[in-house]
Amino acid sequence: MNATVIVFLVLYYVVVLGIGMWAMRRGATGDLEGYLLGGREVGPLVTALTLQSTSMSGFMFLGAGSLAYTTGYWSLWFAAGDIGGGVLNLSIIGRRMRKLSQMMGSLTSIEYLEARYPSPVTRLIAASLSVFLLAFYVLAQFIAGGKGMALVTGLDYEWALLIALAIITIYTLLGGYLAVAYTDFFQSLIMLVGVVWILGAALVHVGGFTAANRTLAEIDPTILSIWGTGLGFEGQWGVVAGAVLVFSAGYMGWPHVVTRHMAMKRPSTARLAGAYATVWNLLFVSTPYLVGILAILILPNLDDPELAIFEVAQTLLPPAVTGIVMAAIMAAIMSTADSLLLQTGSIASRDLYERFINPSASEQQMLWVSRAFVLAIGIIGYLVALVEPPAVAFVVIFATSVLGSAFAPAFVCAVWWKKANTPGAIVSMVVGAATSVLWELADLAATTTLAPVTVGLTASTVAIVVVSLATQRRSPVPPHVLAAMEETARLGPIPERLIALSDFALRSEAEEIESMLRDGEAEQ
Amino acid sequence: MFGLPLSTFLLVLGFPLFWILYTIGFLLLTRNWENDGDAS
Repeated sequence: MNATVIVFLVLYYVVVLGIGMWAMRRGATGDLEGYLLGGREVGPLVTALTLQSTSMSGFMFLGAGSLAYTTGYWSLWFAAGDIGGGVLNLSIIGRRMRKLSQMMGSLTSIEYLEARYPSPVTRLIAASLSVFLLAFYVLAQFIAGGKGMALVTGLDYEWALLIALAIITIYTLLGGYLAVAYTDFFQSLIMLVGVVWILGAALVHVGGFTAANRTLAEIDPTILSIWGTGLGFEGQWGVVAGAVLVFSAGYMGWPHVVTRHMAMKRPSTARLAGAYATVWNLLFVSTPYLVGILAILILPNLDDPELAIFEVAQTLLPPAVTGIVMAAIMAAIMSTADSLLLQTGSIASRDLYERFINPSASEQQMLWVSRAFVLAIGIIGYLVALVEPPAVAFVVIFATSVLGSAFAPAFVCAVWWKKANTPGAIVSMVVGAATSVLWELADLAATTTLAPVTVGLTASTVAIVVVSLATQRRSPVPPHVLAAMEETARLGPIPERLIALSDFALRSEAEEIESMLRDGEAEQ
Repeated sequence: MFGLPLSTFLLVLGFPLFWILYTIGFLLLTRNWENDGDAS
């Protein structure tokens, strides 16, 4: 156990906790919008960096390093899409989702889906899928935290996992969205400094980028290929498309990420946030993959490739710098884990408990349900991560593929296509999730050379288009939703009368009853 | 270039270049967004 590293790590936790508490006090509006969306007061820089640090999880330090270590430059296909994920998300749905969610009075991304595609079934399916997948996704963060903590402290994995999990869970229970957003902002800067520092040290160690590539070519020229070590993915464009899509187009379907749009200060915040996201991604995204590739030269006989970046840091950097880098790694893990846990707890309390079990639940009761859920995920996550920890890269790619396949078309069409209706969205979510899960479980990618996300996204997109068009007459999009969409498309201030629609869903039900009454009168 | 095959070089630098151009295009096309969304 290295004392200097521990000191830096503890210092990091103290600073993060301090920022979290400051943000909590700053955003303490006392209402649910303040807790879940920071009162919709988040500016472009914090929006961009919370969006990016939330999506750049422990995967970037474990999964990305491992992929690069085992497949060489092929792994950069993931970075190719990921670099543009932020600006793509913000440019396509950012402004419109912010505006529409305000008019609908939605506080969670799932509630937003129900308001846009009015039906309790929309919410039940979306909430259930999200809770399961986000909990699965957070499992990867626990494993990453445990492995990192074990390496830094020298403790056994079991104890390190318990400490990492306790820190993440307690820290999440303390704060709301604003605390998460501001700590994410700080953590994103630490992540950037940490990863660039490791790359710099690694490049110096191997004699520069060109020299490293020449040495890699001497070991195995296929490491430098776009088809992977041993040309394992040669000609598999479907798999390549999946690698590019999962962190770009698929990213528009992640409920914990698109919530960031709803919390922006103004719809136009998306504009500058998109630019900041690209700048940050250009500096950050490819770096862990490059370190993973250089690790082939620096540490050629690694037992666990997932520890490639940890090991490179420990091998090349002095203890004080290793402390900063370890803080960066924990920052990546925590900034994702806290958002996932907060989102899962919010969905469980608001979209499942209040919506379907106890509609008259008080905010206090919902807060307790949310906390109980976070704790339950923590305990289950600990047991799974302890008994049979799956590879971080597998869990992250699986969970994000299914999330993207299930939700991306529903979120995109929600703001762009007036004919996208409730049956179309429900079938799209089910088909997207089922296709990508089956593709993964049956290992169809190996035989068809099509990645689960490629197939899942295609299937869910086709489903929303075909089913919406086929059911247009029987299930038209309600007029109040169409009016809100038209207002969303228009540039300019939102009229007060539309913001005042506090219960968008009730209006939908009222219109349904009016329509039934009219039909009844017509029949008589 | 940098000891990489051309295809890999394009993968490493081509995609970032594409996203830079996409972002510049996005900023140029959305110059009129500034007054959007404030309640009237």
